Amino acid sequence: MTIDEIRELIQVVRETGVAELEVQRGDNRVRIKLGGAVQEYIAMPAAMSPGPAPQPVSAAAAPAAPAVDPANDPNLILVKSPIVGTFYASPSPGAPAFVQAGDRVTPGKVLCIIESMKLMNEIECEVSGTIVARLVESGQPVEYGEALYSVRPS
Amino acid sequence: MGQLDIDSVRRLLPGREIQYWPSLPTTMTEAQRLANAGAPHGTVAVADEQTAGQGTHGRTWHSAPGEGLYCTVILRPKLPPDTLPVVTLALGVAAASAIAVETGVACDLRWPNDILARGRKLGGILTQLHGAAIVTGIGINVDQAAFPAELAETATSLRIESSRESRRASGRGQRRETLLAALLTAIDEHIALLEQHGRDPILRAFARSSSYVEGRRVTVTSGDTNLVGTTAGLDECGFLRLRKDNGETILILAGGVRPI
Repeated sequence: MTIDEIRELIQVVRETGVAELEVQRGDNRVRIKLGGAVQEYIAMPAAMSPGPAPQPVSAAAAPAAPAVDPANDPNLILVKSPIVGTFYASPSPGAPAFVQAGDRVTPGKVLCIIESMKLMNEIECEVSGTIVARLVESGQPVEYGEALYSVRPS
Repeated sequence: MGQLDIDSVRRLLPGREIQYWPSLPTTMTEAQRLANAGAPHGTVAVADEQTAGQGTHGRTWHSAPGEGLYCTVILRPKLPPDTLPVVTLALGVAAASAIAVETGVACDLRWPNDILARGRKLGGILTQLHGAAIVTGIGINVDQAAFPAELAETATSLRIESSRESRRASGRGQRRETLLAALLTAIDEHIALLEQHGRDPILRAFARSSSYVEGRRVTVTSGDTNLVGTTAGLDECGFLRLRKDNGETILILAGGVRPI
């Protein structure tokens, strides 16, 4: 779903005066609510596709609205890869993942390994909070600065 | 086979922080603890025996008492993040040069972290990044006269290689001690080279020391994927180029490289 399409939807909400509109197209779901002076939307990719996610239309979103796009929610902290390499969600093949969505984490908790030329880089959590989503498939290459996990700090 | 004479290593390397244990599960865990406690660059954890020696991805490393060199070095190099992975290659070059000088055994390096002789595994390097510290384990088979049947075709030791080449009859006495001192000194030199002159000298040295960098038919296993192709040199970051049979060239970031 493109920004222009979302703008169109917002326009529809304004013109019709409905209180709330929710639209799902492919991996994206958008909900637009008339909330006083600002419109807000929530976009949630159903699958963790790395494609571009829509940006918030309004920077002044109401604080009560939970935005749940794990790559874009300003309330979430993104854990990013410090190096180019291969992402591993578990310490060895077949072993349980270091963390799952919903797990409580504290600073120092190992989240994953990025391997680059057999340099095993254990990525540790730097905040206390809850894992919202893993953004990369285990075994996939990641770029420098690529988001690996989103964490809701507590 | 005697216990490692750690005092003679300390005499050879005055000022070096050397922690020694006759037996440990793995030197990696102790070194991580030392690194977290702020151990300085160059600190080394050495064990005569590892009861749970670590290879990459949770594999074990056969570490019998008195027969190998098992150590983990803590490095705090002043390097940008994109250069850190090259530390693995620098350590391979350092180990090959120390082994050549001390024993005369010619090593081959298999990208990125295997030390080979006659195509068999002589040693390996396991590198982990913990915050600002690199914790790097090096295992070298030194004094094994033979290996268990399941490893006999794929592993070798300096003793086996030396006797094949009719050099010194065996690797007893001071050999592990002088080899450890030479290894630690070579690591210092190669890390300093990387800090001062960047990746290029290390990548060139690695390419010279490795039959795997260029023109080698290999399979590359990474996670669940298997790739087949011919190696086509290192890129400027030290990643391995693989030319697949369909002509496409891809960059290998990680994974196990094996000959065909």
